[in-house]
Amino acid sequence: MTSEYCKEMDLPLSPKGVIAEASRCLLCLDAPCSQSCPAGTDPAGFIRSVRFRNFKGAAETVRENNALGSVCARVCPTEKYCEQGCIRAGLDKPIHIDRIQRFITDFEDATEMEILKRGESNGKNIAIVGSGPSALQAAVDFLCYGYSVDIFEKQAQAGGWLRYGIPEFRLPTEVLDKEIKRIEQLGAIIHLNTDIGRDLSLDDLKKQHDAVILAVGASAGKTLPMFEDNPCVVTAAEFLTEASSNKGEVSLGDNVVVIGGGDVAMDVVTTLKKVGTSHVTNVVYEELFEFRASKNELANARKMGVTIVDGYEPSSVDNNTVTFTHRRIPGELKLSADKIVLAVGQYPVVDGLDLDITNGEVRFEGYRTEDPKVFVAGDIARGDKTVVWAVKTGKEVAEAVHSVLEGEE
Amino acid sequence: MIQKDLSINFLGVEFPNPFCLSSSPVGNCYDMCKKAYDMGWGGVVFKTIGFFVADEVSPRFDILDKEDTPFVGFKNMEQIAEHPLEENLATIKRLKQDYPDRVLIASIMGANEQEWEDLARLAEEAGADMLELNFSCPQMTSHAMGSDVGSSPDLCRRYCQAVKRGSKLPVLAKMTPNVTDMCEVAIASIEGGADGIAAINTVKSVCNVDLQKKIGMPVVNGKSSVSGYSGKAVKPIALRFIQQMRSHPSLKDIPVSGIGGIETWEDAAEFILLGSGTLQVTTGVMQYGYRIVEDMKNGLMHYMEEQGVDSLSDLVGLATDNIIPAEELDRDYIVYPHIDQEKCVKCGRCYISCYDGAHQAIEWNDAIRSPSCDKDKCVGCHLCGHVCPVGAISFGEIVFKEGRQGDRRIEDIRL
Ligand SMILES: Cc1cc2nc3c(=O)[nH]c(=O)nc-3n(C[C@H](O)[C@H](O)[C@H](O)COP(=O)(O)OP(=O)(O)OC[C@H]3O[C@@H](n4cnc5c(N)ncnc54)[C@H](O)[C@@H]3O)c2cc1C
Ligand SMILES: Cc1cc2nc3c(=O)[nH]c(=O)nc-3n(C[C@H](O)[C@H](O)[C@H](O)COP(=O)(O)O)c2cc1C
Ligand code: SF4
Ligand code: SF4
Ligand code: SF4
Repeated sequence: MTSEYCKEMDLPLSPKGVIAEASRCLLCLDAPCSQSCPAGTDPAGFIRSVRFRNFKGAAETVRENNALGSVCARVCPTEKYCEQGCIRAGLDKPIHIDRIQRFITDFEDATEMEILKRGESNGKNIAIVGSGPSALQAAVDFLCYGYSVDIFEKQAQAGGWLRYGIPEFRLPTEVLDKEIKRIEQLGAIIHLNTDIGRDLSLDDLKKQHDAVILAVGASAGKTLPMFEDNPCVVTAAEFLTEASSNKGEVSLGDNVVVIGGGDVAMDVVTTLKKVGTSHVTNVVYEELFEFRASKNELANARKMGVTIVDGYEPSSVDNNTVTFTHRRIPGELKLSADKIVLAVGQYPVVDGLDLDITNGEVRFEGYRTEDPKVFVAGDIARGDKTVVWAVKTGKEVAEAVHSVLEGEE
Repeated sequence: MIQKDLSINFLGVEFPNPFCLSSSPVGNCYDMCKKAYDMGWGGVVFKTIGFFVADEVSPRFDILDKEDTPFVGFKNMEQIAEHPLEENLATIKRLKQDYPDRVLIASIMGANEQEWEDLARLAEEAGADMLELNFSCPQMTSHAMGSDVGSSPDLCRRYCQAVKRGSKLPVLAKMTPNVTDMCEVAIASIEGGADGIAAINTVKSVCNVDLQKKIGMPVVNGKSSVSGYSGKAVKPIALRFIQQMRSHPSLKDIPVSGIGGIETWEDAAEFILLGSGTLQVTTGVMQYGYRIVEDMKNGLMHYMEEQGVDSLSDLVGLATDNIIPAEELDRDYIVYPHIDQEKCVKCGRCYISCYDGAHQAIEWNDAIRSPSCDKDKCVGCHLCGHVCPVGAISFGEIVFKEGRQGDRRIEDIRL
């Protein structure tokens, strides 16, 4: 069953298939898709390039806008971004922009294109704490501006949630590794196993660098008070990290209850199914009509045979037995399980980083902290908590820092 | 299921339906023709036979794609039959014995008058119902054969005369489109004794060039050749030649067997309306198989039903007189586009095309993504309607140009 976990679920489009999909695109005026990519990618532009068989040009459009183009092609919740306003939906269904992008980045990889070019050195250097998508994107932009870049990551490998959260069958490690390698080849130096605040202090970084970017993400899984210190309980973050670290060699028993209804919960339940768990019961606070998880993820979970019980919240727990109450209609549900997984959100761990975090975010707009040398990016900045949004913040923080440092000259 | 009589008498021969395989690999041996007859084809024009035995290249085909549509057009580098003449004649004989009520047309090609005469005689002896003279294969290796013949009125006339000396069968002369004026060679063929015209054979072409190897396709040991193009892309060319012949004073009402890009009943009906009594198909069959005849026949029956005709011959040539010289067209009015805002999906394609390819007459409301037509600028070309992906743009108001109405009423204009 392990191999199921490692096998990428979505199939790539064939060369003919991608032309067929690009031909469905109406090539709109002021294309709405291109106005709704947080990373500022121009899907209408790259789809048109594909339509006119200019695959290399398409790859440039993707890559110059998004250092994680191959990753985003696989994990971006396109239904809430570019595909949301797709005009083609007026005829039948939106263009599969993600699948077209995946074809393009696969093509870029297969033809070994080197699109990004490092800028001429300006002698300045930047420290980035964390190596998630915002950090990686910022690194690329800094390198293109001419800075040197040091990335500090507390884990043994780079990538943040891309590596330790999103399961292999949605985002193969190989794809992530190639993205990171490309960024390293561009010139980023990644220091692994280096926890800032413990192994090195923020002050150390500030002394040695012209600016410091905190891109530490929300790296710990939340729990709920009634589940604290319960040995039957794990967080989604713990479980997914273990699953990806062990390439799917994990087991929580044969009967697992998962609490939570976002995309992370969907990753937990589908991973459980992929690793062979017989009974996966997902109890969700929201009712189906108000579900938070993407339609795609929900559909996948259902296809795999996950039992989804919507509209319930846990009211009490006794060891491995949880009692749930329906939020709107009178009624209770009592379930016993081998393990209970809490997928109720993640929160940032910012010890020693001198950051004021409320509801998982900094309290200010933009990226510059009160310390003029220190900036934030990624999930801890304000905005959506998605990869492509992290990419956006990475670009914007680099731009912000660059304009400050340029101004100082 | 609808049943209509699709039979038609063409050059004195009774066809159970007008659909024939055109002369090509699709009718190259006994088993193929048998299968085609069994699937319902009305006739077969057997692959061209001659004393010349073809020596083919490999590979020999190429296709033109557009977006995700393959086979927009098809290029072949084939010559005539690969089997020896005796074998082909024996096949014709056997087919005629086994399928006496289906039509078998022998396509022949000689290198000189004597060969044409002999081939005609041999084909008649083998039992063919009709002869088709291949004046039109663009990939023969000698100028005495193929499309070079079809562009010489003198050769066409002489070869037709030779054929008539050898046989009493009705004769179709098959024309090449690689001429400026097909009427001239068609008239010469009729003068020589041909009873009707088959048109068209393939159009000389270079379909694609391999960009890495820098060689046309298909590549034959590092080289390629100009050769014949067929399929959907050549339909407009075929229809044009048929129209020009059928409206020429000396060729008026000449029997035509229509060929070129036919794959649907609608294609077939178009050829019929422009004057074709029978129809021939190759590329459609090469791509999809003999079975396409089923929908062509059934669709044509429904069309006859809709049109209220019981005999296919009643449809032949009905559109011919509606294609007139450009100088005779009514140039006195403009039809403005009507944009159905309900159907519109707001893509802006009409705006882009009108701006970049017409007269900047579509106004685009950015806020609500909605097009409208500025009649002061619009010339009524209807490019917008052609690019609209949902058919939201139709014919709207008709307006006479300044001082050009005369005593006509708007209602008199037939759109
Ligand atoms: C299970 C899961 C699935 C998801 N699926 C999707 C999806 O399909 N699509 C999507 O768009 N989004 C998804 N997300 C959200 C997305 O992954 C995050 O929004 C995104 O990764 C945030 O990026 P970031 O740059 O803030 O860094 P993160 O990915 O959060 O990474 C932060 C990095 O910083 C490191 N770090 C933290 N503190 C320190 C320190 N003190 N010193 C050194 N290093 C430190 C961490 O080890 C980590 O590597 C998912 C999230 C999870 C948890
Ligand atoms: C592979 C191939 C071989 C052909 N060989 C002959 C031939 O031997 N004799 C002939 O008269 N026409 C030949 N043709 C021309 C066809 O009979 C027909 O006139 C032409 O292809 C246009 O019709 P279509 O568009 O239905 O294919 C050939 C066409 C093709 C594609
Ligand atoms: S909105 Fe949809 S149809 Fe229009 S250009 Fe973008 S992908 Fe194509
Ligand atoms: S009819 Fe022609 S000129 Fe008028 S709006 Fe349409 S494209 Fe423009
Ligand atoms: S092309 Fe058609 S659908 Fe698109 S904006 Fe114009 S009218 Fe609307």
